[in-house]
Order: sequence, then structure tokens, then C-alpha cells
Amino acid sequence: MSQPADSAALTPPEAPAYQKINYLNVDRGVMSWLKTLDHKRIGIMYFVSVLATFLLGGIFAMIVRLELTTPEPTIIGANAYNRMFTLHGMVMVFLFMIPAIPGVFGNFFIPLMVGAKDVAFPRLNLLSLYVYWTGAVIVLIGVITGGADSGWTFYAPYSTTTPMTLFPVLLGVFILGFSSILTGLNFIVTVHTLRAPGITWMKMPLFVWGIYATSIIQVLATPVIGLTTLLVGIEKVGGFGLFDPGRGGDPVLMQHLFWFYSHPAVYIMVLPAMSVMSEIVAAFARKNIFGYKMIAYSSLGIAFVGFFAWGHHMFVSGQSSFDGGAFAVISMLVGVFTAIKVFNWVGTMYRGAIYVSAPFLYLCGFLFFTVFGGMTGIALATISPDVHWHDTYFVVAHFHFIMVGAVIMAFLAAIHYWFPKMFGKMYHEGWGMVGAAFIVLGFNATFIPQFLLGNAGMPRRYYMYPERFTALNVASTAGSSLLAIGFIIILIYLIYALIHGEVAGPNPWQSKGYEWRTSSPPIKENFEETLEYPEPPHTYQQPGEEVEHVVI
Amino acid sequence: MAEKNKQAADPSAHEHEHGAGRYVLIWAALLVFTLTTVITGRMDLGGANLPLALIIATVKATLVVLFFMHLWDSEGINRLVFCVALLFVLVLIAGVFGDLLTRMPDALPTGRHAHTLEGGDMPTTPALNPHAE
Amino acid sequence: MSSSDAAVHGHGGHDEHASNPHLAHHFDSIATQNHASRLGMWLFLGTEVLLFAGLFLGYAVYRHFYHDTFRFASHTLNLTLGTINTIVLISSSFTVAMAYNMVKKGNNKAAAGLLVFTILCALAFLCIKAFEYQHKFVEGALPGKWFTFEEMKGMPGANMFFTVYFLTTGLHAFHVIVGMAILMWVLKKVIKGQVDPTYYIPVELGGLYWHLVDLVWIFLFPLLYLI
Repeated sequence: MSQPADSAALTPPEAPAYQKINYLNVDRGVMSWLKTLDHKRIGIMYFVSVLATFLLGGIFAMIVRLELTTPEPTIIGANAYNRMFTLHGMVMVFLFMIPAIPGVFGNFFIPLMVGAKDVAFPRLNLLSLYVYWTGAVIVLIGVITGGADSGWTFYAPYSTTTPMTLFPVLLGVFILGFSSILTGLNFIVTVHTLRAPGITWMKMPLFVWGIYATSIIQVLATPVIGLTTLLVGIEKVGGFGLFDPGRGGDPVLMQHLFWFYSHPAVYIMVLPAMSVMSEIVAAFARKNIFGYKMIAYSSLGIAFVGFFAWGHHMFVSGQSSFDGGAFAVISMLVGVFTAIKVFNWVGTMYRGAIYVSAPFLYLCGFLFFTVFGGMTGIALATISPDVHWHDTYFVVAHFHFIMVGAVIMAFLAAIHYWFPKMFGKMYHEGWGMVGAAFIVLGFNATFIPQFLLGNAGMPRRYYMYPERFTALNVASTAGSSLLAIGFIIILIYLIYALIHGEVAGPNPWQSKGYEWRTSSPPIKENFEETLEYPEPPHTYQQPGEEVEHVVI
Repeated sequence: MAEKNKQAADPSAHEHEHGAGRYVLIWAALLVFTLTTVITGRMDLGGANLPLALIIATVKATLVVLFFMHLWDSEGINRLVFCVALLFVLVLIAGVFGDLLTRMPDALPTGRHAHTLEGGDMPTTPALNPHAE
Repeated sequence: MSSSDAAVHGHGGHDEHASNPHLAHHFDSIATQNHASRLGMWLFLGTEVLLFAGLFLGYAVYRHFYHDTFRFASHTLNLTLGTINTIVLISSSFTVAMAYNMVKKGNNKAAAGLLVFTILCALAFLCIKAFEYQHKFVEGALPGKWFTFEEMKGMPGANMFFTVYFLTTGLHAFHVIVGMAILMWVLKKVIKGQVDPTYYIPVELGGLYWHLVDLVWIFLFPLLYLI
């Protein structure tokens, strides 16, 4: 039927199967990469960087899990264990989760999705990459010279009095904050000023909406963590005593300042993930996105309301119960916006023509884990049970459900969905599904036991535990090795696909997304000619038309 | 000619060729308000000192933002950005004060068990001070 | 740049890229580019506001706890020097705004003079601040564990006032230094004629940063020195 004509309408007619001269090879030499102003190259460099930091954070995680295999000290002692979980958290949060989806896919695809030739400030974009590298290197220096043992949350007064140096790690985090701000600033201005004629606000791809909302959070919240790291560092080095009770200070104030950023920060991590899923659900159910406006507005809603909820991390800190109650109620509200998205995604899939593939499997995993991760978040936001669950593995499981279960599923889904566009080659779908199976199953095996452990009372950040928790800990560690195998499998077949993969063509998924309307890989200037945008990006059927399957 | 066209196309070039006079007026107003706040600030007005000082400072800041920084004739999105930033400052302060004003008194730095050290001392709680005996 | 640039220029209407050297390849008009630059700057100013917010919070919190001590401590600060600094900064804001006005009118010479004056004001501010700091060192009116100020010995939260004082004025002074550097960069452009009535966005953005520095002080001055 009209399949071939359909795909032709989606891509420039003269787009070749594989764009020989593309952004990857048009300028040669290391310096052409290091001095590039091309958002796509910057995205690729972010990609390599975050993969490296993910590996590092993963190594710390494996050490933690191995240590927890037995109730006694297994491979490391107490001090080393403190440093392992601290560095796992810090590296994962600041060096991977915060920059990953915006830095890699935001950079690569926002201009393509709004019909622009680049982001608003290409030089600031390159600067954000350099600042990221600088901050990351300083954190690594801190890791090597003794690291940090305060937990990634570095609460005062422990962080200000611990013999661990901490200062390089804090300085690194401070610098990384600037990278985040510059990225967010760039995207906001890009969306406001560089949309092609025809792409109105209500015709922007949902990925752009999600990154836009994320950028608002990045710009408004990050300065506060910058200040907090600065204050803790100054107190540690200079004895200023701002948070020291012995000098009249209030340590809970440090927690207020810390979480004022760090709660919105989790939305910096999850909003891009959700917006990736909005793109994928429409493409792989081949159906109009259900409730475009609600998804777009709910992204903004999460961004704003997420700022008012930080105190739910502090229910047992000494914060007043009045304030705690207020924060608890507001935290419930954020759940509403997330639920709206989940319903809309499911509504999109309903009676859709599902194309089962690696991105779709990650979508399924994402939905399942978002719902359970989100619901346990609501449970934790209810103060009375939180008194029982706080600082136990229940919290650890909750946030890993969201951060790994949701965000990393989305990151993997994004890699698989956009791999053909970024590199012009297709990965092997069979192996894709094998990898997805390992990830989803390994994830369940790792983190479901942790809910049970937390509920039974096992505290977090402990390297020894009572005998009765052994079985669940062993199960969790076994699960984490499945996860590790899954990541290794994915890495191998993706590298193979880069070198020997089948040519993908401009739009192998026959997606209606705007980024597919150029060659694969894209040329440096993104588009051969200025395009027109008569249709919204997630529209697969006109009113009254039937949903139809495609063969990909 | 071409330059005039370009300026016309730039919305904020319509800063109504206002002359230097506007700036001088604002500067004078700022100096007057500064004088006012200096005089009233050191007077003892009880609880009114803080609100009065904040109001005067806000008026001065508003003049600087609107006229020196041209937010008065700038695009709406710039105004939104600045106002939203200010709003979140208030959210931060409100959220923290919601805690401070309603916390159990002994959990505050001014509570019964507060113990202020003299200058130069390290914190004396052994758990907090790895160097204490 | 690469040869593919030449391919993608055919927009409908007049092509500004050929006529305006300041127009970047990815913007379609200088008006849009200027709008983007301004928006970017305002977003950055938003981040600076949030940065100082935490310190203003610290001030508010500890003033709330140690009201009488803070009141007493603020009276130990040198009001004359603080007032002079305030007038200096406000006037420097005025002169930088005037410099912007002069560039728009094509009078780069006057603009350069005004910018030099602004930079000198910044320098004066820093000198006065350094003098005040030095006095604090002598008195022992210092933060945290360095506090040995006899006059306020034993007052609850006395050291906290000076912790907040040094943190806020210190961060502010750092921004004054950065502002000076930015203004010198703008001055260089003005002197070299790289800005004119058709292109003055660097002066505008540099001025915006300087005004922010002034804005922070407008609030710091009464809170620290007066009440």
C-alpha cells in the first residue's frame, strides 16, 4: 500500500541510504573535534564521556554489591565502604545522570527537532563540554586522593569535620554545575528563538518540551547546589561554622539548601527520560500520541511543582512536622503530573500497531518501573511510614527504580532508537532484545529484594548487617551481575554495529519525528534545505484513518 | 538607511530614543532613597526597621531593573525569567522559615541545649571531632 | 568554514548574512540574534540571583535566631564607608547605563570615558571593602573559629553575623572583580570601534551584569549595615 510513499514524504527525496560525507567525517583530525561548534559532535563527545563515567560509577556499584554479599566484611573495610557508596552516588548523579540525556540527545537532536542549524550559543555549548570535563577530572582527582566518605549528600556536620579531603570532590561538583547551567540556558534560548517557521510551540516534538522543562530546572536550581558545595567547602577548610551547632549554626539549614537543588535535580534526570519515552511510544505504537498538550504541560508542571517538595527528604532530620506536612502534600501533587504522562503513554499504546523491538522493550520496562518507583515515592512521601523507611534500603530501591529503572531504560531506549540516525547503521535487533531482557530481568533481580530488605529494616550505607538479611542481599548482588552482563552485551553489539552494521537509511523506523527528515548520519548543516512542517511530529493517522502496521 | 531598517526590526531598539535624561532622573531618585534608608535604618523603629529597609531596597532595585537594565521596554520573556527567579528565592525562604518558625524549640540553635564555643575552639563532641581525645 | 555552508542560505526575503558580519550562520536575522543574546543574559542573571539567594537565606535565618546580636553587630560596621560604597556603586550603574546610551548614539569616545569611570568606581569599591576587611581582622570580628571580637564576646550568635558578613560581601566582591574584567573587555571593544549604533549588544550585556552586581549590594547594604 502506501508504505514507501509515506516514508518518502518523511524524508528529503534525495536523501541517500547512507550519507557519505556527514557530520562525523566532514572535518578531520582531533582538533576539528575539540574546536567544533557542531552540536552533533558535541553530543557525541558527551556520549563517550558519560559512557566512561557510567562505567566508573558502575565499578563502584559492583564493589558495594560484592561487599554486601556477606554479613561480615567481605572485600573491604568500613572506611573504604563509605567511600565506595559515596563515590558511586556522586559519580552516577553528577557525572552521569544529570548530563546524560540532555548532553547527549538534547545536544544532538534539539536543533534537528526544531529545524535549526545549531543551538543558540554554539560556543557556550562547547564550553559546557569543557567545563564538564574539568569538573569530572577534578572529581576523579578527589576520588584518587582519598575521596569522600560522607555519602553523596555530604551533610554537615560530618562532611565539614571528616578527615577525608572531600574538597576536590566538592570543587568538581561545583564546576560541573556550571556545565549543567550552560546546557540548560542554551536549550531554553534555542527553543525560544530558533524554531523554524511552521514549528509553533504546540507543534514541537515532546522531547523538546521535556528538555525545555528540564532546562528551566537546571538554570534555576543548580546555583543553589553550587552555593552549598561552596559553603561546605569553605566551612571545612576555613572553619566558618555556618552549619556548626557549636558556633550557633543550624545543620538542618544545610539540608534545606542541599535538597532545594537535589530534589529538582531528580526531575532533571527523569524529565528527559520521560520525554524520550513520549517520542518512542508514538513511533513504536504507530499511533497519534494521546494527549499531546497534557504531556507537554505536565512536563512544565513537574518542573515547577518539583521545586516546592524538597522537604520530603528531611522528614526525620529535625525539620518541623508542620513543614514536613506541607512538603508531603505538595509531593503528592507531583505524582499527579507523572500519572498524567503514564496514562497518556498507555493511551497511546492502546489499540496501536506495536512494533516489538529493543526500544519498545525498554519502554515496557520503563513504564513498569516508573509506576512502581513513582508509587513507592508517594508512599515515602507519606510521613508516618517514612519514619520507618527513612535511611533504609526501601529508599535506595525507590530511587534506583526511578534512576535506573526509568532513566537508564530511557537512555538505552534513546540509544537504540536514535542509533541509526546518529551513525547511519542499524544494530542487530535480536541482540538488542537479548540485551533488553538481561537489563530488565537483571534490574528486577537487583532492586526488588532491596524493597524487601528496606521494609524489613536493613539500613542503607551499612557494610555489615544481621544474618537474616543475607539471602536477599545475595539475590540483589546476583541480579546486579545480570545487569552488568546486559550492559556488556549492549556495548559489544553496538560497537559491532558501528563498524559492520547494516546501513539504516534516513528513517528506518518510519517515524514521524522531525529529526528523521534528514540524512543518516546528518550532514553538518543538519538540513539540505529549509523544510516545511505541515504535520505535528507525533501524528500517524489523520482523523478517521485506521492504525496500520509497518514492516521495518 | 540599512542601519535604520535593522534597528527598526530589532524590537528593543524601540527604546524610544530616550535621552540621557531618564538615567539622570533614576540616578537622582536612587540617591534620595539611599539617603532615606541610611537615616531611617539607624533609627530605632522597633519591628518596622526590617520591613521599611526591605521596601526601600525593593523600590531602588525595581528602578535599576526596570530602567537601567531596560526591563521596562524589553521582551516579555526576559521579564518572566527574572520574576520567576525572584519567585523561587521567595519559595526557598518561605520553605525554610516554615520549618524554623514551627520547629520544636530545643531543636533550634537557640534551644536549651545550645552551647556556643568561644572563638578558636574546635567542636568538642568527640564524634564530630576526630582530633579530640 | 566548510563548503556546505554555501548551500543552505536561501531563505525567503533579504539575506542579512551577506550584509551583516555580526550575524551568526544559524540565526536568520540580527534582531533574533540580539533577542537570543538578551534572553541568554537574563537567564544567566537569574542563576546569579539564585546563587545569592542561599546567602540571603543564611542571613535571614541567623538574623531570626540572633536578632539582638545582629542589630548590635550591624552598628559596629562603618556606616560612612558603607554609604560611600553604596553611592559609588549606584553611580557606577548610572555611568554604565550612560555608556550604553552613548554607544547607541555613536559617541564611542564619551562611552569609553564613562566606562573608565565605571571601572574606577569598581576599584574604589574594592579598596574601601579591603580597608573595612582589614579593620575586621584587627578587631577579631571574623567568622566561626576565628572570632575574637572583644566588644561582642559572649553574645549569642556573634560570630554568625560575621560569618554571614564575610560570605555575602566576599561573594559580592568576587562578582565585582569579574564585573570589572567584563567592563574592561567591553571598553576594549568600544575603543576599537567594534561596537556602534548598529551593533551594541556587548555593551548591553556587560552593563546588565554590572547592574546585577549593584542590585545585590542594594539589598546587602541595609541588611548588613543599617538594621
